[in-house]
Amino acid sequence: MINLRYRPKGTPVHALNPFAKLAWVASIFVLSLLFNHPVYLLLLFLSTLPLIIAARIWRQWVSLMKFTLYLCLAIIIINALVSSHGVHLLWQAPFQLPLVGTPAVTLEAIFFGAGMCLRLLAIISAFALLTFTVHPDDIMLAMLKMKLPYKSVLAISLSTRFIPTLIEDAARISDVQRSRGLELDRGRLTQRLKSRMAIIIPLLSNSLDRTVQVAEAMEARAFGSGQKRSFYKEIALKKPDIPALIMGLIPLLLGIFIWWRGMGDYQYYPALARLGFTGLEGTLLAMLILCLVMILPLGLARKGIEVD
Amino acid sequence: MKLIKIEDFTFYYSGAPRPALEEINLEIRDGEFVLVTGPSGGGKSSLCRAVNGLIPHFYGGKVAGRIEVQGRDTLKHPPKELATTVGMVFQDPENQLVATDVEREIAFGLENLAFPRDLIARRIEEALDTLGIADLRHRQLYELSGGEKQKVAIASVLALHPRVLMLDEPTSELDPHSAEEVLAITKRLNDELGITIILIEHRLDRVIEYADRLIVLNGGRVVADGKTGEVLSSNYHDIEAIGLGIPPVIRLAHELKSRGFNIDKMPLTVQEGRAMLSRVLPQAYAHLPRPKAKQNNKPVIEMEKLWHIYPEGNTALQDISLQIDEGELVAIMGRNASGKTTLVKHLNGLLKPSRGTVAVGGIDTKETTTAELARRVGFVFQNPNDHLLADTVAEEIAFTLKNLGCKDTGSRLSQTLDIFKLAEHQSQYPRSLSGGQKQRVALASVVAIQPRILILDEPTRGMEYRLKHELMDFLREYAGRGNTVILVTHDVETVAEYADRVVLLSNGEIVADGNKRQVLSQALLFSPQINQLVQAFTEYGIPDDILTVAELLEIIK
Repeated sequence: MINLRYRPKGTPVHALNPFAKLAWVASIFVLSLLFNHPVYLLLLFLSTLPLIIAARIWRQWVSLMKFTLYLCLAIIIINALVSSHGVHLLWQAPFQLPLVGTPAVTLEAIFFGAGMCLRLLAIISAFALLTFTVHPDDIMLAMLKMKLPYKSVLAISLSTRFIPTLIEDAARISDVQRSRGLELDRGRLTQRLKSRMAIIIPLLSNSLDRTVQVAEAMEARAFGSGQKRSFYKEIALKKPDIPALIMGLIPLLLGIFIWWRGMGDYQYYPALARLGFTGLEGTLLAMLILCLVMILPLGLARKGIEVD
Repeated sequence: MKLIKIEDFTFYYSGAPRPALEEINLEIRDGEFVLVTGPSGGGKSSLCRAVNGLIPHFYGGKVAGRIEVQGRDTLKHPPKELATTVGMVFQDPENQLVATDVEREIAFGLENLAFPRDLIARRIEEALDTLGIADLRHRQLYELSGGEKQKVAIASVLALHPRVLMLDEPTSELDPHSAEEVLAITKRLNDELGITIILIEHRLDRVIEYADRLIVLNGGRVVADGKTGEVLSSNYHDIEAIGLGIPPVIRLAHELKSRGFNIDKMPLTVQEGRAMLSRVLPQAYAHLPRPKAKQNNKPVIEMEKLWHIYPEGNTALQDISLQIDEGELVAIMGRNASGKTTLVKHLNGLLKPSRGTVAVGGIDTKETTTAELARRVGFVFQNPNDHLLADTVAEEIAFTLKNLGCKDTGSRLSQTLDIFKLAEHQSQYPRSLSGGQKQRVALASVVAIQPRILILDEPTRGMEYRLKHELMDFLREYAGRGNTVILVTHDVETVAEYADRVVLLSNGEIVADGNKRQVLSQALLFSPQINQLVQAFTEYGIPDDILTVAELLEIIK
């Protein structure tokens, strides 16, 4: 089971200001979308690793990545089957399908799929850092600071609040139905999916009941009383946090500059382009990765200072 | 001073043919401790929700009459405006907490009312201190136990400084120890801070001594209202007829009274019960005939040096050796996290031993699957909502039969529907049934396969007295047919009345195992009220292992 819970650990990464981390994650996110080049994407992914290790969230991260790899496999297979661009034909079906024509797998399509996966890995790894090292309520406060409407933010925060409960419910219901003779891992795929429904139906119904009760309890505690609400906790950007915030944004600016200069793009189709760099491009890329990792020492400096 | 005034209040949930509350007239004064009781569907929860405006503002429906809380009409003032006057704590602590840590949870209501930060900080401090949970301040909510969560829920409501605190069966999801703590807190809030308490409970035994006033609701109407002791003596038969559980000490007093003994005042506590008994006892007592122990030692469950260590590394069971025979009704008791549930999950293979062996009907559970064991071991879990997945009651029961490949599904189904009086509901959606009926469907869906061993996890928690006894009568009879019934429970009184044998666990070890008399008498946390009572009278020659009212009455002529 993937564990998405935040745990206070007091590492330098945890000590970084939430806005700085948000800026850093946003940098990786935006750049992963801008760049096409597999080496760029791989380096963006790798640059998240030092922070993951420093935050001591390695084990949670690995279980999340395992799940992501399954997703990657699916992406590569589907893309290879569906996309028939590319000139290096590896396999061709001996039959024709209506509308799509003859299914075929090309080398380029497989590489394109793999490139997409690198992008996905970089983004998920960056967001993992956010969920594992920022208190969920702080994420909520940061979103509010960015002028997102309170009710939407609360809805998101409530749904994360109930994830642990949901996981416990699922484990319990699975015990109940197995005790009634349900075999989850027997039969063909359709049979297995059907068995899973015996867990999913009670789980969803219970969650619905829960929702009504939570709404009622919130109402009884003056929720939505019309006036603007106040906030007990505040995440302020204090002076010592400014360097980290800037450090989180520099890669974004630098990356946009690189992209604007036409670098970081890559041709998968019709045939794979060469992976080479010019000297300038290599230097700029090295600077970009260095900037991304440089946020870590700033967290070290911030550690020990009371964060509230 | 009148704090709450209810005048001719009638309420229909939208689309309901019958009113949930009907012509209610009540006045509640400042500083009272009111216990509201009644069967489920009697209107207790609706009454609470009407007082803080959730009815009709949250629920809709049809309303007549009026309710005033501190002079404010609830029809004109929605719950958010009444929140600083009436605080409400709900049944399931899990479903009323919205934040992720304790401090922010308490702050939530104050933030909604736009209190300034320094005032919020002060109120949090105060609320934590009042509940005695300052040490929980920085904890994440998911780490807390049910009892701790319920205390946080109370603190978060108290922080709004309400005049009235309403608690809707606040202990039904808690173990007895935490329940005791939560109830003691309500008493303290009432005594020390003068907060008016309206406590809703259908179990009277733990709370009756705290309440100044008892209100009984049935069918949406007030059927009794007055001083606790007086209501209990004047309306005893009404309360019994409704199917509410009357605490053993009070039942004893009533029985003695009807036998002509002079009982002037209803005892509400064990202590008052002792005083009563000391006046009665010198008059007469006889010896109690003891039924002979059954001689039937055909073991169906054999555990040999069982250890269970969870993957995270904590040892849940250590060195358990236990043999359970055919036809036995065994209660497994112990505090929370003592290993009760872990133990029984080994019996149908949901868990496998880390060390040692578990054999069920001679089969080693390591050699087989849960699905295979399900033919002979039925397992009914506490919450029927976790069981129910089908569109109709009949399909729900058939689901288990089909899973296990029973051939005579049709006949077993109709037979089971009859036993559990579910035939008339067989084509209804199980989740829309009442709590008691849902419990019956869950039980029926397991008993349909006639398992030789039937395990029930907390089957009576939150259950009404009458339903409880119907269930226990059924289990008694089921065990009488040579089946083995195993209960995991905290319900001492039920065990005292129905079980043969009690296995007491503590920290994953068996600390006592034997006849219920042996284990339950003088067991402190696990001894029934009547046993606590008789301990003071052993010098009169009264056996110190008497457990129930019926037994005690037998020796008093």
